[in-house]
Amino acid sequence: MASFHPHHPPEDCLNCEHRHLRMFCNLTPEALRDYDGIGIMMSHTRGAKLFNEGDAARNVFVICYGQVKISATSRDGKTMILKIAGPGDVMGLSAVLANVSHEVTAEAIEPCQVKTVRKQEFVDFLGRHGIASMHAAQSLSGEYLTVFHDAKRLALSGSAAGRLARLLLDWGKSSANGRPEIKFTMALTHEEIANMAGTSRETVTRLLNQFRRDQWITIKGASLTILMPDQLERLTA
Amino acid sequence: MQPNARSGRIAAVQAHPLAELLQCPPGTDDLLNGAAVCIEVDAGKAVFRQAENCRGLYLVVSGTFLRRAERLETRLTLGMARSGDLVELAAALGDGRHTYTLSSQTEGSVLLLPSAALNQAFAAYPPLRMRLLEELAREVSRGYDASCQSRAPKARGRSQGQPAS
Repeated sequence: MASFHPHHPPEDCLNCEHRHLRMFCNLTPEALRDYDGIGIMMSHTRGAKLFNEGDAARNVFVICYGQVKISATSRDGKTMILKIAGPGDVMGLSAVLANVSHEVTAEAIEPCQVKTVRKQEFVDFLGRHGIASMHAAQSLSGEYLTVFHDAKRLALSGSAAGRLARLLLDWGKSSANGRPEIKFTMALTHEEIANMAGTSRETVTRLLNQFRRDQWITIKGASLTILMPDQLERLTA
Repeated sequence: MQPNARSGRIAAVQAHPLAELLQCPPGTDDLLNGAAVCIEVDAGKAVFRQAENCRGLYLVVSGTFLRRAERLETRLTLGMARSGDLVELAAALGDGRHTYTLSSQTEGSVLLLPSAALNQAFAAYPPLRMRLLEELAREVSRGYDASCQSRAPKARGRSQGQPAS
């Protein structure tokens, strides 16, 4: 969820100090040199669409910093937010490899920098480096889990409180990076969180206030800290 | 997405035949055949359990299997696996941990291609990994579609998601 040092974007992949924290770009020196030579770095402003659902998949996108909202349209036309992608996440990979149009829409929810690599260039790169294809597999596996967890979160947690607690814990876990403090930037509106948790905006507002009164979480501006993960975990049961 | 576009996409992301996916040159083929382990499973027994480490890639040879996710006392059936299906590509190629439990509904058998042999085969013949990656991408794509189809009408209540096909 949270971005790292957003004011110091990496100049290139070879000199990126955050590389070892990122799933995809943590490559061997040889693969990294090759990776640095493909694609282009692009900066996007908040609200910019990187690609839309249904667009032809011509590029793969790797987030260097910033957060991107991944959403899809349901059968009845509603927008469903599936994930908030962060640094190191690869977007558009499943559509590129399956040779279909994008399944989802990707929209920057804060200023972000994204490495954009042409489809064939990326596929050739994977073919040249076993480690890159392993990381691509992990990325696809992560994408699979995103879809899987979305369904599981809605289906296996009976209460709205449980589903919201699960979301907060998932976001906290993905931003912790081994640090004991579970803190992240909540870049979504209550309406959007409600959409992800399968409940109403009013319920999200009420529950967040309740969690705060119970001192399970604190909220300062857009920053949310989970103080009592065990209590939230209990709600998801 | 429009219904026509969606049905076109569903056709495009159908699983490819096993013979095509696992086609390798003779040396690699021999390696995989030599390492493959056939596992007979009685009705009601689990082949692997959610959160266990993945031992490799499973292929359903015979029988009918259920993919089930569990959380405490609650279970969610994600779908069936039948003869010719590849099971848990995501775990075998990715993070190595099972995301669901696979149990047999009837007596049946599965073939396990152990991770070590798979990795040797990938090194010897890289197109194999690429083909399986593409198959995983199609599975993810089917998952997105199933998620969109299943979620919307029940968004405020319990929903039976079906991300895996």
